[in-house]
Amino acid sequence: MGNLIGKEVEEFKVWAYRMGKFAEIAKEDLLGHWSVLFFYPADFTFVCPTELGDLQDFYEEFEEIGCQIYSVSEDTHFVHKAWADASDTIGRIQYTMLGDPAGVLASQFGVLDEEEGQAFRGTFILNPEGKVRAYEIHDMGIGRNGAELLRKVQAAQFVEEHGDQVCPAKWKPGEKTLTPSLDLVGLL
Amino acid sequence: MIDLARISEESPLLDEKTKETLKGVFSKLDKEIVIKSVVDLQEEKSAEMASFLKGIMAFSHRIHLELYEPSEGSGLEMDTSHLPATGLYRGSAYAGVAFHGVPGGKEINSFVIGIYNLAGPGQELPKSTVKKIEKIQRPVSVKICVSLACHHCPGVVIACQRIAMLNPLVKAEMYDANLYPDLVKAYQIERVPLVILNDRDTYVGPRSIEDVTQLCRDAH
Repeated sequence: MGNLIGKEVEEFKVWAYRMGKFAEIAKEDLLGHWSVLFFYPADFTFVCPTELGDLQDFYEEFEEIGCQIYSVSEDTHFVHKAWADASDTIGRIQYTMLGDPAGVLASQFGVLDEEEGQAFRGTFILNPEGKVRAYEIHDMGIGRNGAELLRKVQAAQFVEEHGDQVCPAKWKPGEKTLTPSLDLVGLL
Repeated sequence: MIDLARISEESPLLDEKTKETLKGVFSKLDKEIVIKSVVDLQEEKSAEMASFLKGIMAFSHRIHLELYEPSEGSGLEMDTSHLPATGLYRGSAYAGVAFHGVPGGKEINSFVIGIYNLAGPGQELPKSTVKKIEKIQRPVSVKICVSLACHHCPGVVIACQRIAMLNPLVKAEMYDANLYPDLVKAYQIERVPLVILNDRDTYVGPRSIEDVTQLCRDAH
């Protein structure tokens, strides 16, 4: 599977758990707003609740910028509910937890570990047309950062609105002054 | 005031090609300009700026340089809380244009054009634009935050500073945001160019001189 930037989410329909309720989620539900698909290996594991809880800490801010979060694992929606009932961290999650036991979504985005039947830690930022604008895939044990994800979604939204007419800044205190790049063509 | 004899005019920022270009541009200067810079020579960037300015001064007898210790900065009208701070002056009168940091990288262009616009024939500007600039009726403080690698930034700096030169109510000061974490934090700067009006309203991305003029006219 090659570069996924620009890939449009394919048709799908899966069951989801959200705040005590079950619902079917399809491609159409991901359109018209920014979305994050947040794959993780499996329910009832250690690193997952940490980063899923971290994501919940920023959920309000994601909602404020018009972005919906969808966590995805290869468990069923029933297992999600059981996990939410058993874990305080998962129980307070307000975003939608997709069940992908058939690996439909994980296969689509190239994060399915077929031998284990689990998903790698892939994060996909989709624009309102359902197209991938940014993504990262971590190996199983490497956690992600909710604050950094929020920054990436904001950056993706900015670029969608303004094009590439700005320079992203990565401030590095103490950097050397750049050699002058004098080019007065068109200025005089 | 700092004795210029203390400052080396051999700036590593000015290579031979750049020097040749600057000689050509500054040979067109037809008015006197004073560059006043507040530097803390104990700091690396200030020392860099001092020798850079002394090197620049050598290209035209119209360019005069005054260097000040940090304790001498009050009364220069420009912001002297972010050093090195370098303002352009018509004699003793502040032209409303300053640079904070060392204008290396792409920002050399806005620095050179700033001098050219103030002390030389200046870039051509439509009369209608000049009239609109002159109609800005309230004081406007413009901060332009840049990074030296940003190729979109000099255009915005040039536009803002040209407005300041044409309307004394406008002050336009460039900041190399990399040097000033307080600004990065206060305005959560993640992208440049970032224009900040009256320390409150922020606008990211390239802006034409007409756009900035309108923003200044609408600013409160």
